[in-house]
Amino acid sequence: MITLDRISKTFPGTDIPAVDRVSFQVNAGNICVFVGPSGCGKTTILRMINRLEEPSSGRITVNGQDIMSLDPAVLRRTIGYVIQQIGLLPHKTIEQNVSLVPELLNWPKSKIKARVTELLVLVGLDPGTVGRKYPHQLSGGQSQRVGVARAMAADPPIMLMDEPFGAVDPIVRIHLQDEFLRLQQHLKKTICFVTHDINEAVKMGDYLIILNMGRLIQMGTPLEVLTEPADDFVLNLLGDDRGVKILDLTRCETLMDRDRNFPYNPDSCLIQSVKPVKIALELMMKKNIDQVGVCKGERIVGVLTWNSIKEHISRVSRDRP
Amino acid sequence: MNFDLDIFMDALTQRAPQYLVEHLQLVVIPLSIAAFIALSAGIILTRPGFRHLADRVMVLFNAGQTIPPLAVIAIFFPFLGLGYGPAILALTIYALLPISRNTIAAVSAVPREVLDAARGMGMTSWQVLCRVELPLSVPTIMAGIRTSAVLTVSTAVLAALVGGKGMGAIIFAGINFFRPELVLAGTIYIGAMAVAMERVIAFVEWLISPAHLK
Repeated sequence: MITLDRISKTFPGTDIPAVDRVSFQVNAGNICVFVGPSGCGKTTILRMINRLEEPSSGRITVNGQDIMSLDPAVLRRTIGYVIQQIGLLPHKTIEQNVSLVPELLNWPKSKIKARVTELLVLVGLDPGTVGRKYPHQLSGGQSQRVGVARAMAADPPIMLMDEPFGAVDPIVRIHLQDEFLRLQQHLKKTICFVTHDINEAVKMGDYLIILNMGRLIQMGTPLEVLTEPADDFVLNLLGDDRGVKILDLTRCETLMDRDRNFPYNPDSCLIQSVKPVKIALELMMKKNIDQVGVCKGERIVGVLTWNSIKEHISRVSRDRP
Repeated sequence: MNFDLDIFMDALTQRAPQYLVEHLQLVVIPLSIAAFIALSAGIILTRPGFRHLADRVMVLFNAGQTIPPLAVIAIFFPFLGLGYGPAILALTIYALLPISRNTIAAVSAVPREVLDAARGMGMTSWQVLCRVELPLSVPTIMAGIRTSAVLTVSTAVLAALVGGKGMGAIIFAGINFFRPELVLAGTIYIGAMAVAMERVIAFVEWLISPAHLK
């Protein structure tokens, strides 16, 4: 668990604080996304958690320990760190790059070797071919994967990720995001994730922390932020497709009518209750129908209608008065 | 002035070789001292606390380069007298600049994100210096040492003027006695030594260069 208590940071030679009295808490096993325009302070906050920057005032604790009481190098070895520019050491092979933190922690050689192989497989790289290469011989997507593998090498409970998928094209990015979310389901790391892309934030985050000009504007789950944006800044940040984003995060079971009977026949359309409403909508448009049956496994538990979706959107995505 | 092949052959095979070791000392000793000073200065001046001093120290080193070696010897003459010592000192000052300039340039050119990642992984400042900054700087630093070495081989000829011996002895003798054979013989050795030094250092550079550049 990471706690920030009224953290401010003013860089030398400036009057305006880059981070202004920000407090929040990141719970264990969650992905917390810091999102906002460039210069909002999200990267500075991230870098204060592993002491690459020191706060001007306030207190940061990691698992209850004040980080200022720890040796920065020792602290950083327990926190995975991924940056957009990746920063692989150009004179080291991929294997050596991934071994970096375990070596700093003096793991035995055989354990490091086994761990490196395991990690490269985990991030979808072939240890036999990629392991011996140098960073300049890798594609952008491969480098990003190595960056993630390197950060996870010593199995740190906490990871800081600064636009980790920012340097690859959109197709690879979506692929990497999906893979990472799948990994996270098993790994249950505590992750602070920085992005300026609201779509990425909504997709990756268990919690969002929305920042502007060094101040924390709003925090909450993606659905909370989408349905109740705190102000016009957040509303603008969320974009024009706020309603569609909400449908992507709302499960069919939330909007279905449990009491209505669904006339079942072999041609009727069914959808699993945990699927997002967006998928049901797609199905309705494709088949030109105005209701689908919602089921849990084999059993039909309700009906989702075109009208209920429409009503829901107009209710939750209404502009603020 | 006519060219006597016998005198030339005699100078080339008998007289000049005896100065080779002396001359080599006049190159290797100042070069080693200069490399040590310049590397230390270059590393210190790229540390966060001293970076603002880098420009001023470079001005100092640049000044060292503009003073002719003979003038350096003249300046230190009252303290050190003539001979070997002042010659070594002048040559050291002369060799400082290319190495320190290249060290500062090389260490400053290590990509920011690489340093950021290295620190972020939990390397101490010392580990970042030894495992990241210096290995990546080797090619540029070695280029500076090569430049200095070639420069010192030729400048060391002047040492003979202040009694510092070396290959300059035979060259200046040739000039004083109007014997181009001696000058040519000495010059051939100087040229050969410059080329040899350059190749040897290039080989060392290849040996210690980061693996991805080989």
